[in-house]
Amino acid sequence: MFGQLFIKECRQTARSLIYWLIVLVLIFDFVTQLGEMDIAREPKKGQENYGMKMSDDKDVIMETALGGLTEEYLRESYTTYPIGFYKSVTLDKKEDAKIGKIINEATGIKGRDNLEKLREEWYTAQEEKMQLQSGQEPGEAAEGMEPAMMQNLVVKPAEGLTYERFEELMDQADDILGGGSNYAEDYRKKNARVPKTYEDAMTEYHELIEKDRLTGGYARLFSDYMVIFLGLVPVFLAVTRSLRDKRASMNELIYVRRCPSAVIIASRYLSMLVMILIPVFALSMVPLTQCMKHALTEGISADPFAFAKYILGWQMPTIMIALSVGIFLTELTDTALAVLVQGAWWFVSLFGGTATLTGGMYGWNLMPRHNTELNWEGYQEGFARLASNRILYTSLAVILAALTVIIYGQKRKGRYQLSWKNIGRSKK
Amino acid sequence: MEKYWQIEKVNLKYHVPLHVLVCILILGISPLLLGVSNLPAEDTAKVLERYVALTGIILITPIFLPEQDKNIRELVNSKYTKSSAVYLVRLAGNLCLLAALLGIYIGMLKHNNCQFPVIKYYLGTFAEMLFLGGLGIIFYRLSDNLIIGYMAPIIYYIIAAGGGEKYMGVLYPFSMSTGSYTEKIWLFAAAACLIGDGVFLKIPRPRLKTGCP
Repeated sequence: MFGQLFIKECRQTARSLIYWLIVLVLIFDFVTQLGEMDIAREPKKGQENYGMKMSDDKDVIMETALGGLTEEYLRESYTTYPIGFYKSVTLDKKEDAKIGKIINEATGIKGRDNLEKLREEWYTAQEEKMQLQSGQEPGEAAEGMEPAMMQNLVVKPAEGLTYERFEELMDQADDILGGGSNYAEDYRKKNARVPKTYEDAMTEYHELIEKDRLTGGYARLFSDYMVIFLGLVPVFLAVTRSLRDKRASMNELIYVRRCPSAVIIASRYLSMLVMILIPVFALSMVPLTQCMKHALTEGISADPFAFAKYILGWQMPTIMIALSVGIFLTELTDTALAVLVQGAWWFVSLFGGTATLTGGMYGWNLMPRHNTELNWEGYQEGFARLASNRILYTSLAVILAALTVIIYGQKRKGRYQLSWKNIGRSKK
Repeated sequence: MEKYWQIEKVNLKYHVPLHVLVCILILGISPLLLGVSNLPAEDTAKVLERYVALTGIILITPIFLPEQDKNIRELVNSKYTKSSAVYLVRLAGNLCLLAALLGIYIGMLKHNNCQFPVIKYYLGTFAEMLFLGGLGIIFYRLSDNLIIGYMAPIIYYIIAAGGGEKYMGVLYPFSMSTGSYTEKIWLFAAAACLIGDGVFLKIPRPRLKTGCP
């Protein structure tokens, strides 16, 4: 019975317009984000730069945080993440003066004008340094080089400033900004980034081809991009499917069948899950083929199943929870409320993840981010949290699906009938 | 006139309250999520374009919601009053509510010492709301499916937020925060077309079999 229903549901999904719209959205996502993917090459000695990495050096932490605070103070706009996602804070005069005092004590530089001068000197020096490195005359544009403004301002702490006092001052600044700023304890450490050396870059490259076997890194990058849409679009399919019987006035006809509610809901749920996974697997074939070809020419032992593992382990829990929210809230309310709820959750998760793009800081985000094929070490360090995250959402999805079965069963027995229209009318 | 007011009264009583409540909730929690005080013009535009404009999808898209029930659709079609007139009355009512909510929100931003050209930003944000809602209306009308009606503007928003400037050209919805206003005029023109088509388009739908010849 389950098999027959499952096949029938898959056919229904394949015939629905919304499913093909979802497939189009996924293809668009893939083509725009990963359409021109380049496979990483072995770093060469003497390259202009090898990227950035986090530093534990207290001096670097202090200089970076003070540079950032000075920059934002001059810009009169501060970036914070108070409840996990981006918020731009602009201070009033009184608060602005307090930040000025903190900078004064921490750097020994007084007044906005002096800080402005310091910033100008910094960027001029950066520009000259880069021009000298590229062997060009000052004022000539350096082809393929990052503009000097890309290098963040670094400000040295005042003489005699201890790290403990620095921490107190940064905590004060964070309080003034309402918390979650770049000067909160976690963020000031994350922001202390230093350029990678050739050796660092080689280590990362070897991790990619040996530990990740090339495909692992790209499967993570693929998951990072796909999960953005997969955190939302399945809910549209789930809500449409759940409302279809009602719209077609088929509810009563299905309710009286002998088939158990668990079989009906499970067949619907699994068919939607499978039908969404099919285009995801199909799209993964493109980067997989690219990686396998590269591995063959470079003599790398690639893992051909890496994409499948990441799709099932990383992306599937997100799809499952979006589907579960969809079917649960639609059965519960007979409305499209799930679109709003999942949309809000998606919005918070997406913006909450902007500070964690480099990977390793997966937290409890619905859509864990790892926007690089590198950083295997970060992935390893954050793996326990990532696994807990995925297990939690899978369990939650199963629980919501089970609750949907109960609600559906009660509806069939005529014991539960709730819709917003009925509530409105019962008040009359 | 009386009959149009009756249509709007029914709309306000049964179909709008939940949607308005959701919009108020979304706008009400915004200070927790975004900076809404002492903002310069660019950051104020970000709040309006990327957050407040989303309410357009919630309030404009569902103007055909009652007709999702095929029995109600048949009943509305059988009446002397044209169905497009019914939709227009509902649309006008919802737009008034949306304009009021936006006005209150912009007033709050101004009160919180945000520096921005009020009328320009009000109209620009309203144009974006109309466009997002218009997208919802046209997709809803074409597919006869509320979910697709919601999905289309949401996907449009996501693509725009994910660096869609190069794909969207003059229909890029977040242009005010980059200092350009021309896109808002295009968005308004496109919204007028989308909403006009959505309301007046006649799409044949299967009718109930009455048994009569």
